[in-house]
Amino acid sequence: MAAIGPGGLRITAVDAAAWALGLRPGEPLARARARIGPGIAVHPADPEADAAALARLCLWARRYTPVVAPFGPAEGAAGFFLDVEGSSHLFGGEEGLMADLSGRLSANAIPARLALADTPACAFAHARHGGSARPVIVPPGDNAPSLRELSVAALRIEPSISDSLRRLGLRRIGALADAPRPPLARRFGETLLLRLDQALGRRPEPLVSLAEPAAFGASQGFLDPIGHQAGIVATAIRLMREIAPRLGASGMGAQSLRLSLHRVDGIEKTLDLGLSEPTLCPIQIGRLLDLRLDRLGPALDAGFGFETVRLDVTGIGRLEARQDSLADTGLDRRAEGNGTARLADALRQRIRARVIRVSPRASHIPERADALEPWRVNHVALDWTGRGNARPGGPVPSRPLVLFPRSEMADEVFSLAPDGPPQRFRWRRRLHRIAHAEGPERIADAWWHAPAPARDYYVVEDESGRRLWVYREGFHTAQQAARWFVQGLFA
Amino acid sequence: MAALRDHGGGHSDALRVESLPLGIAHIDSGLPGNGLTLGRPHEIAPEAEGDEAAALGFTLALVARHLARVEGEALLVIGKGHPTPYGHGLAGLGLDPGRLLILEVENDADAYRAVEEALRSQGLRAVAGLVDAGLSLKQSRRLHLAGEAASRLLLVLRPPQAENPNMAATRWRIGSGAALRDRFGCIERPCWRARLDRCRNGRTGDWLLEWDHAAHRFGLAGAVAADAPQARSNTA
Repeated sequence: MAAIGPGGLRITAVDAAAWALGLRPGEPLARARARIGPGIAVHPADPEADAAALARLCLWARRYTPVVAPFGPAEGAAGFFLDVEGSSHLFGGEEGLMADLSGRLSANAIPARLALADTPACAFAHARHGGSARPVIVPPGDNAPSLRELSVAALRIEPSISDSLRRLGLRRIGALADAPRPPLARRFGETLLLRLDQALGRRPEPLVSLAEPAAFGASQGFLDPIGHQAGIVATAIRLMREIAPRLGASGMGAQSLRLSLHRVDGIEKTLDLGLSEPTLCPIQIGRLLDLRLDRLGPALDAGFGFETVRLDVTGIGRLEARQDSLADTGLDRRAEGNGTARLADALRQRIRARVIRVSPRASHIPERADALEPWRVNHVALDWTGRGNARPGGPVPSRPLVLFPRSEMADEVFSLAPDGPPQRFRWRRRLHRIAHAEGPERIADAWWHAPAPARDYYVVEDESGRRLWVYREGFHTAQQAARWFVQGLFA
Repeated sequence: MAALRDHGGGHSDALRVESLPLGIAHIDSGLPGNGLTLGRPHEIAPEAEGDEAAALGFTLALVARHLARVEGEALLVIGKGHPTPYGHGLAGLGLDPGRLLILEVENDADAYRAVEEALRSQGLRAVAGLVDAGLSLKQSRRLHLAGEAASRLLLVLRPPQAENPNMAATRWRIGSGAALRDRFGCIERPCWRARLDRCRNGRTGDWLLEWDHAAHRFGLAGAVAADAPQARSNTA
């Protein structure tokens, strides 16, 4: 393989026979021809096909772990990292996983060098510069000793830096690790120490995992970059029109979308849109995007414009079958969706707050019996007839309209009987004289929790007609009086 | 086809509800259109500090009464300083929490924006805004304009002190009243002291209202007969 490099065609990759003849990547092709003779078969390099093949291989490697990170330019781009922590036991431990991986790769005639270590940098050094054709497994905590004998080039540093290091006599990583750090930083910059620390596990190196391929998406490029809000919205609507038939054919609607805007100077801006109900309606998507861009205003820095706009469907949901109307109103009812859902989505884009609802939870403890959750179009009525609800047949709602997240303590409580309702108490700096009390309703904590004192709840009405929900925690003892709390207010 | 469409259109017009009657002939006869006009802002305030729960209960009871009469959902915009209602308490008040959308916002500006947005959208039947400051003249005009397009129940609940002139159709002051007792002497129904401070093209008054959560109906508290003649004399 050869490609255009500095000073003419250079060899980029060689096969085993050429390697045996002494050809190495990086050598000018003309010199190789002069040395070996005209019998060399040369093919032009195809970096794009290489990248596509690597991406396919990365996707395949997801069978071992969800975290697969392809090599970047610093690593030479022909390989990938797998973070197998937590997934190796599925393949019979680390040895089993390595054996399985190398067996499958060689069965597909893919020559590969594998290494497994505590840090990505250490594994990379062993795979690329270890010199062993067999899979290398560095035992945990054995990073530094295993790297000592490797060449400094294994640290993913610029060739110029590794050449200078070699001239200074620092050929091995061990020598580099023993050298005083301040002069190294002064001479070679921060990068060298960063790479060294990453290899030794002193500094973290987060892996950028391969993006999940979106099944539904479309993109459009522009010769003249666009920057206006109206243009972006119109493009998104057009892209959604392109995606909608494909989505609709599978009976699905888009529930969350991501719009990626690629700026001329290579910066990518992404906007995420969420919907309450799956939809196919391009107009609706456009309207939501318009609201979001309104809110962003100048924060969406268009710079010299966006040259590529891409719309991906990141979440899908089953579309409810709805009958189309007989009269043609111009709007597809199936695609348009529910008016309330559209309002919920619009509010979420305009005012950064999500529309929520209260939903019941199966608990007899009052504060755990309901929860706030994002509002969705519900086709099944929620069941509020649990034990916390109004007593069936009973005349009064036994639960307050407002429940405090934390019960508030009442002071100066006076009650006639030790376990009777309070006659008066002070709460929020106001003295409440109780005219009427109903109770007690005893609510004990679940037995599987740490034993908390049982609560005796009373509905009390003070002289001005305010109704409160109070409870006594535990019982009076000779040493200590029980404490009273106000937990809610009735309407 | 056109005839069919006309027929359908006429039918839906006939079903259109223009006002929400409280269900008490004595009060409704004093209100323009025999009830709370839909699409106009109605202002509700607690009588004094400590009556916030009563005012919230009255607001949600009105929403519950409206939702019992029409299909659809209601939106509750909760501003700073107002508590989020408890689900079982809502159910006990006769309001299905599944039909209530809740939006918690940081400030009044956002609250009013959300209310206006909701008024312009399709699908909601009632919008209630719980605000921190009062309903200003400018804001009430905006709500008035936004509400004109569609007939929705529009309620604004504000704290007791923040009173200012505005275009609200009615202004209610709600205080808590001693609950009605059943024949065993237990609390039967919530009861509110409702004062209609202001009413465009109608009569003001002062009543003791009870709320029947099962029938979604208000009633004049009959047990407190002493208030009834007084209420009558107020409105006369």
